[in-house]
Amino acid sequence: MTLVKQRHSRQKGGLLRTMLTALREGDLATRLSFLLMGCGCLFHGQIGRGVLYLAAQILFLLYLIFFGAPHLMKFTTLGTETQHRVFDEEEGIYLITAGDNSMEILLFSVVTLVLIVVFLRLYASNIRAAWEAQSARCKGNPLPTFRDDLISLTDRRYHALLLTPPVILVFIFTVLPLVFMVLIAFTNFDKAHQPPGNLFTWVGLENFRNLFSGSGQTSTTFFRLFGWTVVWAIFATFLNYLLGMAVALMINKRGIRAKGLWRTLFVIPIAVPQFVTLLLMSQLLSSEGTGGAFNVLLQQLGLIQSPIPFLSDGTLAKITVIVVNIWIGIPYTILITSGILMNIPEDMYESARIDGAGPFRTFFSITLPYMLFVTTPYLITQFVGNFNNFNVIYLLTGGGPLSLDYFQAGKTDLLVTWLYKQTVDQQNYNLASTIGIIVFLVSAGLSLLVYNSSASARKEEQFQ
Amino acid sequence: MMKKITRLAALLAALALLIPTGCRRKSDDGTVTLKVWGSGEDQAMLGEMIEEFKKANAEEGKTYNITLGVVGEDEAKTRVLEDPAAAGDLFAFSDDQMMDLYNAGALYEITRNKDTIMIENNEGSVKAASVGDALYAYPITADNGYFLYYDSRVLSAEDVQTLDGLLAAANRAGKRVYMDVSNGWYNSAFFLGAGCKLGLTDKGKQTCDFNNQNGVNAGKAIKAFCADPAFVTGNDAVLTGGIGTTICAGVSGTWNAEAIKEKLGSGYAAVKLPTFTCGGVQMQMASFAGYKLMGVNSATKHPVEAMKLAEFLTNEENQIKRFETRAIGPSNLKAAASEAVKSNVALAALAQQNAYGVTQREVLSSTWDPLEAFGTAMEAKSYSRTVEELLNTMVQQITA
Repeated sequence: MTLVKQRHSRQKGGLLRTMLTALREGDLATRLSFLLMGCGCLFHGQIGRGVLYLAAQILFLLYLIFFGAPHLMKFTTLGTETQHRVFDEEEGIYLITAGDNSMEILLFSVVTLVLIVVFLRLYASNIRAAWEAQSARCKGNPLPTFRDDLISLTDRRYHALLLTPPVILVFIFTVLPLVFMVLIAFTNFDKAHQPPGNLFTWVGLENFRNLFSGSGQTSTTFFRLFGWTVVWAIFATFLNYLLGMAVALMINKRGIRAKGLWRTLFVIPIAVPQFVTLLLMSQLLSSEGTGGAFNVLLQQLGLIQSPIPFLSDGTLAKITVIVVNIWIGIPYTILITSGILMNIPEDMYESARIDGAGPFRTFFSITLPYMLFVTTPYLITQFVGNFNNFNVIYLLTGGGPLSLDYFQAGKTDLLVTWLYKQTVDQQNYNLASTIGIIVFLVSAGLSLLVYNSSASARKEEQFQ
Repeated sequence: MMKKITRLAALLAALALLIPTGCRRKSDDGTVTLKVWGSGEDQAMLGEMIEEFKKANAEEGKTYNITLGVVGEDEAKTRVLEDPAAAGDLFAFSDDQMMDLYNAGALYEITRNKDTIMIENNEGSVKAASVGDALYAYPITADNGYFLYYDSRVLSAEDVQTLDGLLAAANRAGKRVYMDVSNGWYNSAFFLGAGCKLGLTDKGKQTCDFNNQNGVNAGKAIKAFCADPAFVTGNDAVLTGGIGTTICAGVSGTWNAEAIKEKLGSGYAAVKLPTFTCGGVQMQMASFAGYKLMGVNSATKHPVEAMKLAEFLTNEENQIKRFETRAIGPSNLKAAASEAVKSNVALAALAQQNAYGVTQREVLSSTWDPLEAFGTAMEAKSYSRTVEELLNTMVQQITA
């Protein structure tokens, strides 16, 4: 109880207040900790802790002086010195001196900023440690030794030991790149500003303005692709959901024999890796030359004269990708919904039957509400997943057919595949980053909105 | 207390060992580390060339540590610009990436033996490797272009002179004529043949006049070609799969020579592209004369040695070696003049077509997609917008 109380008061006081108190009431060692980290701990005999603090400070300062600060100082301009060269008479070549590299400046500035924040936190904890050591000594309490600290890591602070590696990795591999990429959206890092020969710099919200201004071709392309992305996400999500549920219902129906067989048959498409299916489909449905296998078949049966442009006609390609996606997506829905369908209490159906409800009424009044209640979060993730469904589009049509209505994009391009083309093919990183941010805002906003207003979130306690 | 201080000192000393010293040791022991990027098919051949190079430069007292990396000529630009410092010191690329690489400052200007290189290689390839008067890469090949393959058992030399004659003969024989019109690289043949131009402004932006009267005539010729019953499009596989059976002629390049020769057997023939009817007159179809180049990374640590190696890899002997191992057409004039090269059917047709070749160096990568989009619309026979309208939009996007 006292421990809980103590911890509580410590949290309430906050690091900053502890620091102020330490500054006001601290002894020499504690105050010295403000300059030289670990002094307080060292003075009070916590050698291990003190040395670690001191080492952290030295390492940080070395990093800052030799690496961090030079980059950070150029952070506001992202570099001013371009690559230049001097002719070397002796060798008969130009010697190239590297100039500032805006990309590296941006990247390492972000790293340095993060490290500074981490260091400041460490700095504050150093003062708190000094202050705690001082107060403990005043009260005559024993101080935890380094050994105690280590032991506490396997006991009271076990969570810290376990969580540190993943947190560090998440920072390095997720948070840092994310911040870096988000920042690119506010620069003019495009084709015309490629390092190492050129510099790029901050342009504020210009990229967003260009995208939303509504006049330029990037803007019109953005809105058109956005429209198709939404249409695609809706169709891909709900068609899969409804059709998958329909198949599951049929299999689940009383009187259907060999349920296991049907279920297995319908789930078999999962056995083939998705990208293999997609690449095969794109070959099968091709209309180039005499056409892919499907077109050849139709022609030999005499049903058509020339290949049907399944993937090379804008509208047809849109339909094709949605249909192929159904083939890929339904098995998963069948699996998920079968389980839930079997869980719906039979007595509900029984009473409905007694009250004279037909199959449709039962479906819309019992099955669907129940399904939606359970699967809304699944639907949201599916929707967001389809919003960014790179695989299906890229492997099936590559975004094509290209159209002059769009700027460097095709009829079936989603925002995310357009983003890919902008980075890999066109090197317009700023535009791509801007699109990425918008896609994130849209999908995150939509998810939060739908989830919080859904029955799953509001009536959680009512779930039977 | 004393004990504490000694312990502290010992710990600090141990820590000091862990701190990196800040500056890296320079490798001045005479080892030159170079990384060469080339396509997957070239690896074995490049390996042999590099061994030769090491032998030839053994007595300098330097140890060469040369590694190979698989990066195709087509993706060199993308990969180099991702991180120039980590890219190959030398990399092979196709000349349409030249301006993007140059604008990004990724290429080292070639000044060593510049004049020799310029004299020994053909004019087009040198032009493709230069910006203004400055040379920025070493020409490796002069075979990245396209021409007409045909089945001489079905078509006569007379038929393949004009596109109209070609199509008429093909229709008579019930066979088809292949060209990948939904690809900017190929469909430019019509526009460039009609006298239109692609160029660059001083600031490195693309200029394009494919929507002027000549361009519109060319666009209509494309439209008519695509609407012809004998027309067939698709990727390389469609051509190599169908030639000799359903297809009697196709526009392609030397990379398909072996496959097509095998399929056509005695009927194997190749010639320059035909003329086409453009606004009522016959115009010769042009083509992109493309070259493969070897660039030196501006971020290289050993520019002198890198240039030496690049020069070696692209010299006469090695261009002949390339021709012998992979039937790649040399840009080196002496190598190209050899009997073996001259008697190669595909290379001869290419040389014939190259008289109407246009350098693709002044074409930026952003130009291909709009051209492809136009070709796609023509192939799909979607005529909701007129050729003029489509071309206006296309040019607008190309010059954006």
